[in-house]
Amino acid sequence: MNRVGVFVCHCGSNIADVVDVEEVVAYAQGLDGVVVAKDYKYMCSDPGGKLIKDCIKEHGLDSVVVASCSPRMHEPTFRSVIDDEGMNPYCLEMANIREHCSWVHKGDEEKATKKAQELVNVAVEKALFLESLEQSEIDVVQEALVIGGGIAGIQAALDIADQGKKVYLVEREPSIGGKMAQLDKTFPTLDCSSCILTPKMMDVARHPNIELLTYSEVEEVDGAVGDFTVKVRKKSTYVDWNECTGCGLCAEACRMKDKVPDGFDMKLGDRSSIYTPFPQAVPLKYTIDPESCIYLKTGKCGEEPPCLEACEIGAIDHEQEDEIVEINVGSIIVATGYDLLDPDELYEYGYGRSEDIITNLEFERIVDSSGPTEGKITKLSDGEDIESISFILCVGSRDEEKQTYCCRIGCMGALKHAYLIKEHMGDEVDINLCYTDIRSFGKGYEEFYRRIRGTDITILRGRPSEIKVDPDHKLSFNIFDTLTDKLLEIESDMIILVPALVPSEGAEELARKLRISQGTDGFFLEEHPKLKPMDTVKSGVFIAGCCQGPKDIPDTVAQASGAASRAMGILNKSRLENDPMIAWVDTDLCVGCGVCVDVCPYSARELNEVTGIAEVDEILCAGCGACIAACPSNACIHKNLTKKQIIRMIDEVA
Amino acid sequence: MELGLYLGCLIPTEQYAYELSIREVFPKLGVELKDIQGPTCCGAPLRNINMSLTMYLSARNLALAEKQDLDILAPCPYCHQALTRTMAVLDENQELREKVNSHLADEDMRYQGNVKLYHVLDLLHDVVGVEKIKEEVEKPLEGTNIAAHYGCHLIRPNGLERPDDSEDPQKMESLLRAIGMDSEDYVEKLDCCGAHVMVNEPESALTKTGQKLEAVQERGFHGMATMCPWGQRMFDSKQEDAAATVGASLELPVLYYTQLLGIAMGISPSDLGIELNLSPIHKIEHLEVEE
Repeated sequence: MNRVGVFVCHCGSNIADVVDVEEVVAYAQGLDGVVVAKDYKYMCSDPGGKLIKDCIKEHGLDSVVVASCSPRMHEPTFRSVIDDEGMNPYCLEMANIREHCSWVHKGDEEKATKKAQELVNVAVEKALFLESLEQSEIDVVQEALVIGGGIAGIQAALDIADQGKKVYLVEREPSIGGKMAQLDKTFPTLDCSSCILTPKMMDVARHPNIELLTYSEVEEVDGAVGDFTVKVRKKSTYVDWNECTGCGLCAEACRMKDKVPDGFDMKLGDRSSIYTPFPQAVPLKYTIDPESCIYLKTGKCGEEPPCLEACEIGAIDHEQEDEIVEINVGSIIVATGYDLLDPDELYEYGYGRSEDIITNLEFERIVDSSGPTEGKITKLSDGEDIESISFILCVGSRDEEKQTYCCRIGCMGALKHAYLIKEHMGDEVDINLCYTDIRSFGKGYEEFYRRIRGTDITILRGRPSEIKVDPDHKLSFNIFDTLTDKLLEIESDMIILVPALVPSEGAEELARKLRISQGTDGFFLEEHPKLKPMDTVKSGVFIAGCCQGPKDIPDTVAQASGAASRAMGILNKSRLENDPMIAWVDTDLCVGCGVCVDVCPYSARELNEVTGIAEVDEILCAGCGACIAACPSNACIHKNLTKKQIIRMIDEVA
Repeated sequence: MELGLYLGCLIPTEQYAYELSIREVFPKLGVELKDIQGPTCCGAPLRNINMSLTMYLSARNLALAEKQDLDILAPCPYCHQALTRTMAVLDENQELREKVNSHLADEDMRYQGNVKLYHVLDLLHDVVGVEKIKEEVEKPLEGTNIAAHYGCHLIRPNGLERPDDSEDPQKMESLLRAIGMDSEDYVEKLDCCGAHVMVNEPESALTKTGQKLEAVQERGFHGMATMCPWGQRMFDSKQEDAAATVGASLELPVLYYTQLLGIAMGISPSDLGIELNLSPIHKIEHLEVEE
């Protein structure tokens, strides 16, 4: 048993006005194992610290109990005090007699004093068996991985790279840019999206600290904060990117030219089998799409594939294979973005039943002057002129059948589109906008909404019923306008759906690889919704942008910079110390049943291959205690919170 | 196959032609019909007032069928939906099931939950089968284009087991084609017949009725087929009122599908209650003999 010293703090009058401190000291002096008990007005002050240090020296103490405020307030203070005197910092126990006692029992001094005595008693019982613990340390790999090359990933990668650390940026498409590259204009300022995005993409391409891994996917993640090992699959592009100059002669020559639906243009335009997603692609290198390439599908493309002949430098290699690259990083930022909910799942909105019913992202490509129609807005079904366009907001959003949450960008996006239609076509075209609530919450958003509301546009509050598709391409729907209590029938030449945002494809698989959590909606879960919005349960892994939840570009960029800053907090250290208050295994008791392996949420437990006995990975263990509760043999033990300690603590107050 | 026929209220009090035609066609397709003894209201009209009373009434009829060891044919979609919902709820909610059963015990009855439920639509399409129907057709009703009206209770709500898809039903069309008729999709197919607001808002109801009839007529259909006594009442019995309400000249033959099926099978039209239809059914070529 340890020799224990007890130090009771007055906290000015905070504690002493309610709790009789002297009574507590006198009580502590009578407890078994307590060799000295003192009080002081402010124990956290320098003289208070000196009092503790002197007593450690004078009485040869093994552990210290401080009865004062919450350990969240001053545990680090007192740990460093006893550390200064040569005592192990983990030989400290705190009794919280302020938040848990004097603050909440004002007016009942007698009982408060008794409770403070009991709290001290319990702390002493624990302190009798506190042991010296040593922190383990790991070397930090001062490099980062960013997964996803949309605006969130780009911003995070640039922020880290600018601070002098190496960043690997992994993107599964052949180019970075993400959804923002597909947008024509951005609300509410109407900046051209690619005009503000392309310079950032070029910064990434040029940055000496950024290694770009496009057309690549994360295959496997191992290790822990400070030292992750990540396997990345570089998918075969069938083009030697070291040689390719991006001249585009191959795409011109391709037999599939203008025959392959172009994913970047939401399949409204066509490309060749060998392609770059868009002219400003970074890197500007060509990729062969194996789904449509005649040679890759059949082993033969005429006499010889024309791309081979067109490429003067011989960069095309139809035999190229996937490559697995292993990288080592100290921190990971996930920025995998979103997809639109497929409106096909909602039959009543008619998507797929008429070519004139499109999504807002498809409309972005149509209205974009570099898009498939070069900005010309006509009916997609028959090319006829358009006299009226209707927007339907909240398609699958705020809908208990689909996604219950708000997409946060739909209202503003639709208002922006209404503006762009006016700009392209004037007041000739009728615009109907059917909304649930207009949510124009961002800076300058409400002003933009008012500006659009003031133009010649019909804004209706309600959810349209089934969209009816006439055989002659006429579209119509009924809407009950809840502001006028009128049922209206609306005919339209084009209907633009604003679908819900959902996590991008593969989010679930990535969450499993990284061992991070997802909410019920599938978006990655932050560690705390308010105070740790970029952290995940997995230390060293951060999230940014729409993979955490729907958000607009300003919020995405802000969160990306935040995540980069959180990651830099790790990368700036050369070594990381681990909290030693974790689990360990009594190898004499362990039978190797493996229950601890199953319950551990941090993958810190495994069975030794040779002995069959459970082990604890000291880096991964977070000291949550799940294995300790689960172990049927009492072999899992929490350091400095053993069953012996807990039972004695309970016995004292029981 | 032997089924208990549960007619509900509207068919035996007003829509006799549906019952007549059902009793004619099914035995000839290998489905013997027996009457459920001592039926009561299905409970559906009380759903928004007293849910557990609705459940009790539905369960009582289900229990009657179980007593006779019969599965049920409920040709009224409103009844069919109420019975289906009750079965689903009582499967989940054991507490309510016990409560319902404690009331049924007054009559020495108990709902067990092992009865199967059919409507005319799924019985014909999924059990009898389109091929069998084609075999039984003696005079295909060719050259006639008929609009299918399903009615809301037959296909909705999404989530409750219904005889066809709630947004894009197609079974009635394939049954119409089986007897030689044409039946194309039309934009107003899922529009409301108006029956449900007929008591409180007759003008709104008849407006809906009239608008749908007008659209079907304008699209060049020769007539309309239904499988719901409520829809038939609006489109057939109240066609004149609907025409007056929307100010249109409506002359659209509206028949039960079972009547059309019977005619195609060579059954005498008068046995199918054809003289009870109030819409101008003689306009359909194959029914001219009736004039």
